[in-house]
Amino acid sequence: MTAATTATTDEKAAKTPVLQLAGVSHSYTSGGRKRMILKNVSQSFQSGRMYAVVGPSGSGKTTLLALASGLDTPVAGKVRFRGDDVAEIGLGRYRNRHVATVFQNLNLLNYMTAVQNVVSAMEITGARGGRKKQRAEQILTRLGVEPVDQHRRTLQLSGGQQQRVAIARALACEVDVLFADEPTGSLDQDTASEIVSVFQALAHEEGKCVIVVTHSREVAAAADEVLRLRAGALVRG
Amino acid sequence: MLTGLFFVVCTLVLSGFLIQSAAARAADGAKKSVGAVVTMQLDLNALMNSGKGGTPANGLSPGLIGPNGDLHIDLVDRICESPVVVQCNYTTQGGAAPSSDIKLYQPPGAQSGGVDFFQGDGVRDLNAVQDFRNGDSKLIAGTGIGPDSPADGVVIEKRLADANHLKVGAEVHFKIGELDPSLDHTKEFPYTVVGIYSSDKASATGQNVPAMLDPGNQLYFTAAGASTLLGKTGDGVVNQATFTLADPADLGRLKADAAAAGADLSIFPLSINDKEYQTLVGPITKTAGFATVTVWLVSIGGTVILGLIVAFSLRERRKEMGVLLSMGEKKPRLLGQHLVEVFACAVLAIAGATAISTVLSRAVGNHMLAGEVSSAENAPKDNTPDHSSTFGASASGAGSGSDTPTVTPISKLDVHVSSSDIARIGAAGLGIAAAATLIPGIAVLRLNPREILTKGD
Repeated sequence: MTAATTATTDEKAAKTPVLQLAGVSHSYTSGGRKRMILKNVSQSFQSGRMYAVVGPSGSGKTTLLALASGLDTPVAGKVRFRGDDVAEIGLGRYRNRHVATVFQNLNLLNYMTAVQNVVSAMEITGARGGRKKQRAEQILTRLGVEPVDQHRRTLQLSGGQQQRVAIARALACEVDVLFADEPTGSLDQDTASEIVSVFQALAHEEGKCVIVVTHSREVAAAADEVLRLRAGALVRG
Repeated sequence: MLTGLFFVVCTLVLSGFLIQSAAARAADGAKKSVGAVVTMQLDLNALMNSGKGGTPANGLSPGLIGPNGDLHIDLVDRICESPVVVQCNYTTQGGAAPSSDIKLYQPPGAQSGGVDFFQGDGVRDLNAVQDFRNGDSKLIAGTGIGPDSPADGVVIEKRLADANHLKVGAEVHFKIGELDPSLDHTKEFPYTVVGIYSSDKASATGQNVPAMLDPGNQLYFTAAGASTLLGKTGDGVVNQATFTLADPADLGRLKADAAAAGADLSIFPLSINDKEYQTLVGPITKTAGFATVTVWLVSIGGTVILGLIVAFSLRERRKEMGVLLSMGEKKPRLLGQHLVEVFACAVLAIAGATAISTVLSRAVGNHMLAGEVSSAENAPKDNTPDHSSTFGASASGAGSGSDTPTVTPISKLDVHVSSSDIARIGAAGLGIAAAATLIPGIAVLRLNPREILTKGD
């Protein structure tokens, strides 16, 4: 392989979106009626950028996140990760190796400490390297969780701290794409700003693709790109 | 809660296993101690139907059985060599006529006169005769009759010995005690008194009771010696042979060995009598049967209840499983994790059950067994004919003795935990744990993480 060929391959890889929605549609049947939530949505997402998905309640933001993160399968269209159909990768493997989600209600394991939550995620996703506990503590410290709080059960932590633990758990999975569903919805202004800063740092400093579903204007303003869901379609701005 | 319920289930199941094991051990012990007695004797009807009986056509007097009805000692000895036979005996029931040197014992008040005989039974082993087995008769001088006894040996009762002033070693003569007119009833055959026994049976005092029926006039010969007094020649014949088997199930093998030895089993059938064994193990078998039912009921009930608890637990942990699934955890591994947790509870419960089940099963088992023994003792006696009595000759004489059980049922359970019991409860406990986890665990395989973790707007 020549140097020129290698350079071309790298350029192509760089241009290939880390995540791509290609003609994705989704519907629910409710009360005997079929309701179309997403209609032929196509959108590419690049590494190193933070995206905000906004829209009114019931517009399909969480559904979009569920489809993109491999929690659900679209009725039409494809979700591609680095050009490969995630259905072919396998949704479980896709979730396990390539993406992580910070849920709106966090879904922490409350009978575990903050560190244990992070370590268990490392164990499940097969994160590389040893000394998982030390690495979990480093991630939590970086996200602003005090050492004294790292070994407390998550139920005993404040909302902001729990949010940080949930993000730490997602980061510990060493994934390329990070999803967050209303990450600042229950936080005060200062804590919300701190969390947004964390997402920005993850995108711009660590090269992650961060996709945030939000109602918040502040979070949307902090994103590199804002995508609006309206009548089942995804549009910029 | 799960461990507690498991503990109860495992304790009950293990107690059932222990009662079953104790009953099985007791049954094995009973088999070894009493075995089963198989009787071989002439079936007169079969002999007559076969055309081999005594008839005028073949030169015999009407009413006589003829030589084909003789069960020869050498044949019985060959059958005794069968490996399934643990003890062997045979008897010849006959009579002996008094001679010049020995007179019948006449109890006080009895009327002498007329034709009368001693009752002379030939035996292979005097100790196997029921009266000696159960202690009604005891040897008080000399030796008994055994397989190696001289053919002319005779054992007499103390009353007869006293009446005739006989001691061990004395030579006496008897005449043939068979009514067949073709026999020589004047010839006297010499015998040596090898033993004197004492019988607890009292003499009859009625004037019309024949002296032959007096316990004092009961003689014991070797089978060959008794055959001589029946007018038989050769190695001797017996009326009945008994073979004690270690296991009633060995009857088929004994029949095969007897046929191979030359026995005509259509004329000399082998009839098994395992009443003693059944008497011994009857109540304990019923107790074991109840224990078996208990084991099954508790196992099934326990599985259902534990399954419901596990299902409830799975429902409570839906969110946790959703989180793990969202991270790409595999559903079988989630189920496996649950299985490991339930197994851990089961192992703890099994350990606790092992510690307590011995005491519980001993108490419960013995209580139940006592009830069964009491029921068996109060039950009406079985009056069905004895299978061994296929021929008119009574088995209550000198032979193996009456087959009426003289044993008492097993009334105590020897309960102890063996490694195989622990292995069984381990397998049962873990089996219940697996069933109780995997059946409701099907729900885990249908879990959809999105439904659990998001509202699905």
